Amino acid sequence: MKIGFEVHLQLRTERKLYCDCPTNYAEVPPNTNVCPICTGMPGAKPMRPNRAAVEAAVEISLMLGCRVQTGKPLYIQRKHYDYPDLPSGYQRTSLPLALEGSLEGVRIREVHLEEDPGQYDPVSGSVDFNRSGIPLVEIVTEPDLRSPEEARRFLRSLIRVLEYTGKVRPEAGGAMRVDVNVSLEGGGRVEVKNINSVKGTYRALKFELQRQAERLRRGERVSRETRAYLESQMITVPMRTKELEEDYRYIPDPDLPPVLLEEEWVEEVRGRMVEPPHLRERRLVEKYGLPPASARVITGERELADLFERVAREVNPLFAADWFRTKLKKVLNYMGLRAGEVGFSAEQLLSLLKMVEGGRISPEQGELVLRELAREPADPEEILLRMGLLPLGRGELEELVERVMEENREAVRDYLAGREEALNFLTGRVVRASGGRANPREAVGLLREKLEELRGKGQTS
Amino acid sequence: MGTLGKLQALRSGELSAVENLERFLERIEKMNRELNAFLQLNPRAREEAEEVDRRIGRGEGGRLSGLVVAVKSNINVLGLRATCASRTLEDYVSTYDAEVITRIRREGGVVVGMTNMDEFACGSSGESSAFGPTGNPSAPGYIPGGSSSGSAAAVAAGLCDLALGTDTGGSIRNPASHCGVAGLKPTYGLVPRHGLIDLGMSLDQIGPLAPDVHGLSLLMECIAGKNPGEGMMLEVERVSYELEGDVGGMRIGVCPQFSFLTDPRINEVVERKVERLRELGAEVEEVSIPHLEHALSAYYLIVSVEFFSATRRYDGRKYGKRIEEVCGEEVLRRIAMGSYISRKEYRGKYYQRALQLRTLIRKEFSSAFRRVEVLVGPTVPKLPHRLGQKLSPLEMYAYDYLTVPANLAGICAGVVKAGEVGGIPVGIQVQGPPLGEEKILRVMRALEAGA
Ligand SMILES: [Zn+2]
Repeated sequence: MKIGFEVHLQLRTERKLYCDCPTNYAEVPPNTNVCPICTGMPGAKPMRPNRAAVEAAVEISLMLGCRVQTGKPLYIQRKHYDYPDLPSGYQRTSLPLALEGSLEGVRIREVHLEEDPGQYDPVSGSVDFNRSGIPLVEIVTEPDLRSPEEARRFLRSLIRVLEYTGKVRPEAGGAMRVDVNVSLEGGGRVEVKNINSVKGTYRALKFELQRQAERLRRGERVSRETRAYLESQMITVPMRTKELEEDYRYIPDPDLPPVLLEEEWVEEVRGRMVEPPHLRERRLVEKYGLPPASARVITGERELADLFERVAREVNPLFAADWFRTKLKKVLNYMGLRAGEVGFSAEQLLSLLKMVEGGRISPEQGELVLRELAREPADPEEILLRMGLLPLGRGELEELVERVMEENREAVRDYLAGREEALNFLTGRVVRASGGRANPREAVGLLREKLEELRGKGQTS
Repeated sequence: MGTLGKLQALRSGELSAVENLERFLERIEKMNRELNAFLQLNPRAREEAEEVDRRIGRGEGGRLSGLVVAVKSNINVLGLRATCASRTLEDYVSTYDAEVITRIRREGGVVVGMTNMDEFACGSSGESSAFGPTGNPSAPGYIPGGSSSGSAAAVAAGLCDLALGTDTGGSIRNPASHCGVAGLKPTYGLVPRHGLIDLGMSLDQIGPLAPDVHGLSLLMECIAGKNPGEGMMLEVERVSYELEGDVGGMRIGVCPQFSFLTDPRINEVVERKVERLRELGAEVEEVSIPHLEHALSAYYLIVSVEFFSATRRYDGRKYGKRIEEVCGEEVLRRIAMGSYISRKEYRGKYYQRALQLRTLIRKEFSSAFRRVEVLVGPTVPKLPHRLGQKLSPLEMYAYDYLTVPANLAGICAGVVKAGEVGGIPVGIQVQGPPLGEEKILRVMRALEAGA
């Protein structure tokens, strides 16, 4: 099985690609972020491509290890096709800005800059041009993936790279469109269009794998064709032949000069570029000795990895990594927060981790504090106070242990009779009676001490 | 009284902008039925003229100070109809001002109305308008030339002070020649195209038509210069031209390829003018543009491909009519040709070849301009035909033989009346290197003054 991708993702710029209209298309009433240019009014001429968009595409290319096409004219092409959401009857797409990169062993063929069309509502027959002219980056891979699972993992990695730049709109917001080509040994290449999520991609591939394998098994041909993915039914269907025979009649846009990427400028972008996540993941493993699974989770978001590297300077990285992967990630997921959205500072998190690492509070208590920290950021010391979690003094703990032993004579007898599990029960009682402030380890220690003392006494008396 | 005299009268208060406008409106009322130069008059023109009068009163009349400007129907003027003289856009009302219109308003110009033209500027006779042909006030019964037929006719008939035309392959110069007025196709990228409805985007330029060379220069000073929002503009802020310079000592080129296929009677008129320049002290030298004869076919290939692309938006959804269903035969022919030769399998064969020829012609002009400062010659190789006479497409295209090279080369070229043949005006064409407008205007001014 061979799988290759064409992934389109919206770039996060203030302005559209060829005009000055704002890009917050989803937040405003239909057809308000528009002008003669992005609605293709007769006579309107495009402005030169938005520099911020070109820069974002170049940065993405560099992160994917591509060779940026510096010093040569890169024409903006008109791709003609007939659809209601396309106000001029053509879409502008650049010649490749960069070639021949790679990501986790998958070859990246090329990277383009494109413009988004408007949004057509077939039910009402109306078109909203707010989205028309939003910049897109298009990434084309070689057919290097071998299974739907591999493809899914790659797509997630790719999105992670794009999101690391901070210059794309989140994939989850529907800003992504994927075309995937898939072929089995002995069959023709099938292209599936109209996919807009990682999950959709996986399902479409699963469906195709089954469909094509079934045909081949029955001795039928799998012909080269283009299919559309139907999200609602999780299947793919053939596209109309008219769409297949379409000839886009590409011509260089006579209204725009070619883009020229200067070597020096590209190097500047490279200098400003953040470390790509796949390289950072490898570095975390090598530098801190992290388990690969932890490194993958921590590099899932740039801000999460930044946070990790900040705290790893002052606490044991393995301890921190474990915390990030199990506790921090859990809390963030639960609260529906991205690492970039948390309100607490690295210093606050660090001071919490130090408390746990130094044994001042238990990991369980630490998790309670972390939840509170995420909900309402404050100094962890303050949170401890506020929650009444300040660790018990030795005297207080001693009093509690004695009280619990007094109130649970049966359990004490069981322990003395050799039933070890009674100790766990008593520990739980102590922790509960302390309102969670008692450190369970300390409580066990003290309980055992007191019980053994009792055993000694009992035997003498 | 000439453009400068009129401007003087407006500035001094001897003539108000409103009076100026009303005189033209009266003439239009009388003559337009016959001439069909205007497709629509600006219902707000009087208000706009009143506003200009108030500005003149405050000493803020701008460079145009109430001069009346006619606008070709392929240029957007907010609230007016930019129909391109086509059924395709007969219901289209402009939602914005073209950049040149913004500039004209800023300088106190008053837009009087939208002029007739060949449909989508595809034509050289002024006959292919969906709203009827334009007449030629200087040679009644003959075509006025095209495609800026209404703008040239309006200037020739005294229905406006100045007019905007557009020139993709000669559409300003050809009707200027047939109507006996002055016209200029500026260097590609000197005048903003934002708001100009496309024919061939890599060739189109907006330019002035006027009764005299001073009028051309004045309008150019108002509309030329960089529009920061536009992709294909030259790095020129503003222009300012001195016309009264001496042509003595200027090196002026003539080219055998220009006269080779041209009507001898036209050549004769042009030669007399070249002689005149020699008398004024110019050095006349012969230069060659060896591939001139290929310009026309390269031009039609390029323009068809670009026009095909530009017309994809007229799909019937937004403007009500699908272009292929309502347009005239010349427009349809170009769309079909553009669609055919831009097909994947033919791209290399036709379009790329045309672009190569274009590069070649550009090089030949640029080497000619290393030897001479301007080139002079005929504008149109033949005299205009009678209105209504049927011509084959190839006979029609032949009108453009001497004007398309300047568009392909992206250089500037102007036309001023040189004489007449049997009562029909004949214009002489002066071509200059990129941004050589001042030079060609100076030569045109000398020719005009010595007429
Ligand atoms: Zn816009």
